[in-house]
Amino acid sequence: MNIAVIGSGMTVFGELWETSPRALARDAVKQAVVDSGCDKKNIQALYVANMLSGTLGTQGHLGALFAEELGLSIPAYTIEGACASGGLAIHTAVLSILSGEYETVLVLGVEKMTDHKPEEVSSALMGAGSNEERLAGATFPGLYAILARAHMEAYGTTEKELASVAVKNHFHASCNPKAQYQKPISIEAVLHSSCVADPLKLLDCSPVTDGAAAVILSKKPTKNSAVIIASQVATDTLGIAERKSLTTLAATTEASYKAFAQASISCKDIHVAEVHDCFTIAEILALEDMGFVKKGEAGKRIGEGTFSLGTAKQCVINSSGGLKACGHPVGATGVKQIVEITDQLRGRCGKRQVKNARFGLTHNVGGTGATAVVHILRKESL
Amino acid sequence: MTGIVSYGTYIPKYRVSIKEIAMAWKKNPDDIIKALGVTEKSVPAIDEDSVTIAIEAASQSLSLFPQKPNVIEALFVGSESHPYAVNPTSTIVGELLDIGHSYLASDLEFACKAGTAGIQMIAGLVTSGQISYGMAIGTDTAQSKPHDALEYTSASAGVAVLLGKRNTIADLISFTSYSSDTPDFWRRDGIRYPSHAGRFTGEPAYFAHVMGAAQQLITKSKIKVSDVDYCVFHMPNGKFPREVAKRLGFTDTQLTRSLIVDHIGNPYSASSLLGFASILDIAKPNQTIFMVSYGSGAGSDAFLWKTTKEISKFHSKQKKYGISVMSQLKTTTDISYIEYLKHTHKL
Amino acid sequence: MISPVKIWRNQKYIASRIGLIGKIISWSFIRVPPDGFSGQAPYPIAVVELEDGNRICSQIVDWEEDSLKIGLNVKTVVRRTIETTQDGVIPYGIKVKPI
Repeated sequence: MNIAVIGSGMTVFGELWETSPRALARDAVKQAVVDSGCDKKNIQALYVANMLSGTLGTQGHLGALFAEELGLSIPAYTIEGACASGGLAIHTAVLSILSGEYETVLVLGVEKMTDHKPEEVSSALMGAGSNEERLAGATFPGLYAILARAHMEAYGTTEKELASVAVKNHFHASCNPKAQYQKPISIEAVLHSSCVADPLKLLDCSPVTDGAAAVILSKKPTKNSAVIIASQVATDTLGIAERKSLTTLAATTEASYKAFAQASISCKDIHVAEVHDCFTIAEILALEDMGFVKKGEAGKRIGEGTFSLGTAKQCVINSSGGLKACGHPVGATGVKQIVEITDQLRGRCGKRQVKNARFGLTHNVGGTGATAVVHILRKESL
Repeated sequence: MTGIVSYGTYIPKYRVSIKEIAMAWKKNPDDIIKALGVTEKSVPAIDEDSVTIAIEAASQSLSLFPQKPNVIEALFVGSESHPYAVNPTSTIVGELLDIGHSYLASDLEFACKAGTAGIQMIAGLVTSGQISYGMAIGTDTAQSKPHDALEYTSASAGVAVLLGKRNTIADLISFTSYSSDTPDFWRRDGIRYPSHAGRFTGEPAYFAHVMGAAQQLITKSKIKVSDVDYCVFHMPNGKFPREVAKRLGFTDTQLTRSLIVDHIGNPYSASSLLGFASILDIAKPNQTIFMVSYGSGAGSDAFLWKTTKEISKFHSKQKKYGISVMSQLKTTTDISYIEYLKHTHKL
Repeated sequence: MISPVKIWRNQKYIASRIGLIGKIISWSFIRVPPDGFSGQAPYPIAVVELEDGNRICSQIVDWEEDSLKIGLNVKTVVRRTIETTQDGVIPYGIKVKPI
């Protein structure tokens, strides 16, 4: 496949008290439209990615809402897959173009999380898990902590190695003016932060964030676009108790395998990747499950700087700062990952630019791994 | 003959000491311990209630009973801490124990004797041939107002007794009940904590009814106190059962085994039943047990039991699964007064 | 208030899961609870593998701080689960306790 990302944009990510979801959407879409150089009238369909608006904000029907807000009287859809909503929306938009029905579509990922108390947000996010997990009093940090402990038991991964993921991503985010956190942090700071769900601490966890990201996809590439050459989805069981393994996210393995096959490349060809680091352990699992490192070795490699800006041996992981440091407005993340990789391939990342980036990858996960979406992008060489 | 075919008990593992409670209110612990004859009491976990405790006790009794739970045709649960004012505890317990749907369910309330009232009624249904098996449960997570005298003794436990006619381990030889309108301890609808009338709860209440029922039973059954092997009385504190046993002519040897109050305080509807279970745990075949419960308001149910040779087989089964009242008295976790307030939903 | 119909449907699942033996595959300690669990927090949760090979995710009760570990033997029990309003139907569910 060759679906071009002809325009992209994102708001600043953070605690945006004064900005409503509608304002977030207008901001991101305006940037994308201006960036694309094309007329808004050419957009034929709108895909909105969002998880919590219905639960927390009692507002559903977002396709119609944002189509109206953006002044677009076009077919509009809402796609939800927990934290993979963004990736799924991109994938659905890609399919819609491949179907021949549309040529140019807009994908908007938007999430407003700071209007509500942390406990309410935590409970609403558990909508991504199973009923059994909710009745057990589980939270997302708790479920990923169970995965972390299993990984530590099986492979000797240490809390310090988990912390090194956070340190790397905060360092990257300090080069990203749109990131929620702009200061680097130390290993000690992570290890001394308060425990949320043993062994995961506050700084092992991605934050609560408001934000929006938008991309315009087209059948026809322009001089300035990046091209999606693979788009794959896989699903696994909803709850972690039903998984075959607690140390591998099978959906990630399957989606990435299919994506690499579709793109006819391997992970060795990837120069920059945005992976789903909702918690530090999640990045470790992602790198292992996609084949960037051998099972059990991600913690060590990340700690050694193998995937950091400036010292990377293979490729840079989460140049934007990832979910951890750039922020995680749930429905927007998957779209923002495409924005970051597109910017990297187009050479627009300034201080955090990965030199000569030709191939990029995005990895977006829903819940504790029930859904995984992998996209591979190539630099357009028109 | 109608009797017990199986029984099960459950005591929550947490304990708060009288010393801990007394110190919170700046009282001298030794004075309280001396006056009430208790040293610590059982406390439920924050997510336990009379329903969950009833299920634990009933599950244990069913694990020692060879037939499927659906042979049970009556289930009566007695408590003063039913979670609902309207909605039966007995059907929640029955449903979760998979008893099926062909049974009479009833919730009972009579202060601390709601469980034993159930035994008398089920015995009637069994003896008449109306049902083959019926279960009576006494279960409580007793509430008391902080700083009140009852705070030192109000505890938590559950006992389930399965009655039938075949392969009984203890036969019900005789029973009677003594009732009157005596307002010694009560709780109005919608009010959280019970109230009591101080020293009025002694002679005119506890002693009058326990003695009254005991004497009625002695007359009815023509038993001699000296022929009885074990006795058990309701235990609101460590002193009352010892005093009433003495007045009736029972000895320490007959009484001692039943005194679970010394370990866990007063679990209300499970009190006399737990003392009784403790005796059954060690009773040999053909031994008589004299049991009198007490419920404020007021009344006493009196029972004369005789163990059968089946009880030895029952003990082997209990031993195989490590089941006993004693094992639950031994494995405990001490908690602070603050944790006690948290567990009993006062914080 | 939690839907009484959902509580009723869930009961059928509970009855078949009481008194089963299992062991802890992995666990965590929830210090920041979700809505409805603040009274019980902090508490451990675990993925438990039962003797029949099935796994469940449940809260651990009656635990001692230093005894929580992978491989710990546990038994399923019935306890109250999520806190509800004072006038709502009470949800009961399966939790595990060390044996």
